[in-house]
Amino acid sequence: MDLLTNWLAFTPVFAMPLVAAALGLIINERAGILNLGTEGIMLCGALVGVVGYIEFGDSVALGFISGILAGLVLGFIFGFLVVVMRTNQVVTGITFVILGSGLTGLMGIPWVNKAIAGISPIHIPFLTDIPIIGRFIFGQDLVVYVTIILTISTWYFLYRTRMGLELRAVGENPQAADADGINVEAYRLFAATIGGAFIGLAGAYLALAMAKIFVLDMTQGRGWIAIALVIFARWMPWRVILGGVLFGSIEALIPRLKAIGFPIPQYYLEMTPYLATLAVLIYAAIRVRSGQEAPKALGTPYVRQDRQ
Amino acid sequence: MSVISLEFIRRRRLAVEVRQQIWLPYRLSIIIGSVLFGLGISVAILLGRGIEISSIYEEFIIFTFFNAAGISAVIVESIPLVLVGLGAAMAFRVNFWNIGIEGQMFLGAIGASIIALFNIGPEFLRLPLMLVFSVLFGMLWALGPALLKVRLKVNEVISTLLLNYIAYYFVLNQLFGPWKDPRDKFPHGEQYENAERLPEIGWEQVHYGVVIVILMVVVVWWVVDRSRFGISSRFVGINPRMALAVGLPVSAITASSALISGGLAGSAGFVIASATEFRLTFTMAAGYGFSGIVIAFLAGSRPIPTLVVAFLMGSLYVAGESMKIFYSLPDALVGLIQAIIVISVIASEFFTRYRLRLAYFGGA
Repeated sequence: MDLLTNWLAFTPVFAMPLVAAALGLIINERAGILNLGTEGIMLCGALVGVVGYIEFGDSVALGFISGILAGLVLGFIFGFLVVVMRTNQVVTGITFVILGSGLTGLMGIPWVNKAIAGISPIHIPFLTDIPIIGRFIFGQDLVVYVTIILTISTWYFLYRTRMGLELRAVGENPQAADADGINVEAYRLFAATIGGAFIGLAGAYLALAMAKIFVLDMTQGRGWIAIALVIFARWMPWRVILGGVLFGSIEALIPRLKAIGFPIPQYYLEMTPYLATLAVLIYAAIRVRSGQEAPKALGTPYVRQDRQ
Repeated sequence: MSVISLEFIRRRRLAVEVRQQIWLPYRLSIIIGSVLFGLGISVAILLGRGIEISSIYEEFIIFTFFNAAGISAVIVESIPLVLVGLGAAMAFRVNFWNIGIEGQMFLGAIGASIIALFNIGPEFLRLPLMLVFSVLFGMLWALGPALLKVRLKVNEVISTLLLNYIAYYFVLNQLFGPWKDPRDKFPHGEQYENAERLPEIGWEQVHYGVVIVILMVVVVWWVVDRSRFGISSRFVGINPRMALAVGLPVSAITASSALISGGLAGSAGFVIASATEFRLTFTMAAGYGFSGIVIAFLAGSRPIPTLVVAFLMGSLYVAGESMKIFYSLPDALVGLIQAIIVISVIASEFFTRYRLRLAYFGGA
């Protein structure tokens, strides 16, 4: 019973960074930008989040804002490189992973391994005390609820606003969008920057809410899992929640199984998120339906001068 | 008057033009300039960390290139780097982004360790068997992503990367469990016996890995530049749809390039296990995946330049290693410098592909 309550209560905590990063990636990829540097940007968001938190006198809000700003800046730099300088998106992305790891490793020394209080979950009398699902639904920290709002707003933005429509047009067919007078480069740069901010938020959450500490390379592949999650979610915001909860529940289960001495070797347990991601990728590849494919121009630069 | 001059400025825009051709010395100077720019930023970061310029100069130039011990250390360091560089290059040529080199190295080292731990085969065949097994195991780890890519179009960047984590946790499981060193109970594999170690060639610390590397470079050069497979794979890399249209077996070429890539990465795992670590460890592959990508990228995925770039990268490794020890800098240092150089180089390619020009729009 306790196991179930705790498992449910911690699932959103593990799901949130994946969901936030995946939302950022959806905005990116809907505009045609493949940001494989997510892992590195998340890591920078985590470190800068902790730096902001500590240096501004244990301020949760300023910590999150710092992390988001770090993601925003890195997202802009990534966008500048792939959109304006027209660099290869895959190479740039992979390089950003190592850049994030290197920058946080070198610059983060004064803040590494410092435990912080971080953000605490809300408590609503009676509601939070409902057995089993009380803490799951009414006992999360504020950022989890903000993320749900962000999911809805991302969906609204992409599917219910003119800007969202134009952004998706840029990702599907930049030539046509350009011919229609849409500024392809501006939309892509905007998407990369906003997407980066989401990824920075995910990173800050890792350090300020989930781990309550910054550890070197603490993202542990979550950036990559978020990229896979986008494919699983078929580039649709609301399905990200589904996938996030799936992965979050797997990750939340691991420490609990370890604690009760579940008879599977520890390192096989640690493998499960990656195995699950692989399984989900294969599942998504087998069940491709029309209308659910990747944006057509994903990963391909648009250069008006190269147009045939 | 001011209105006219404003109008004059407004009609001038920075236009980007595609270059039809580029003068070779100009192109080379852009590339070299960008590498130097990246190195300059790296030096600035090191200076910002309070490291003196004279010691950077000593570590990177004097101690690595101007004495025998330094050069031999660089050669030893570059042996696995050439192998992972060739591995990455083989895959990149057909646009298969193999990010799983570290996992494939682990598998290679596991394959070699199985031969060594269970004493399979007579002693004089031990090393060749270990090499063959490491290549096969590395290929095995690339097989899944290769099939998933050509059959189901599963993104190989993510699948190969996920397999890195799976291989890593498998190695941890073995080293903390059944393969723990029985002598000191540390989480690393049992030491290889003498017959399982690559012997030294007799000059400083350079070992027979050098011979493996030269053989591999020649073989890859032949495959890439001289064989029918190489020509077809270049076609697949440049224009897969056209290659398919003219009847080339695009899937088979892509998958076999990925397998060769995994095999080369596996052999790098063997070299590190049997010539440097003398055992299976869980830190042996760290950083080699990205290094392989960087080397293949800077070498344009060609075998001979790979050798040169890997040698230079080896000197960065050797110098970075001693900087890390003397100034207690983090492990991420070498990766950071690599990343800065790559960003600088990819950004500079803009200037080799395009020309910026002030254009004048509209009539008088």
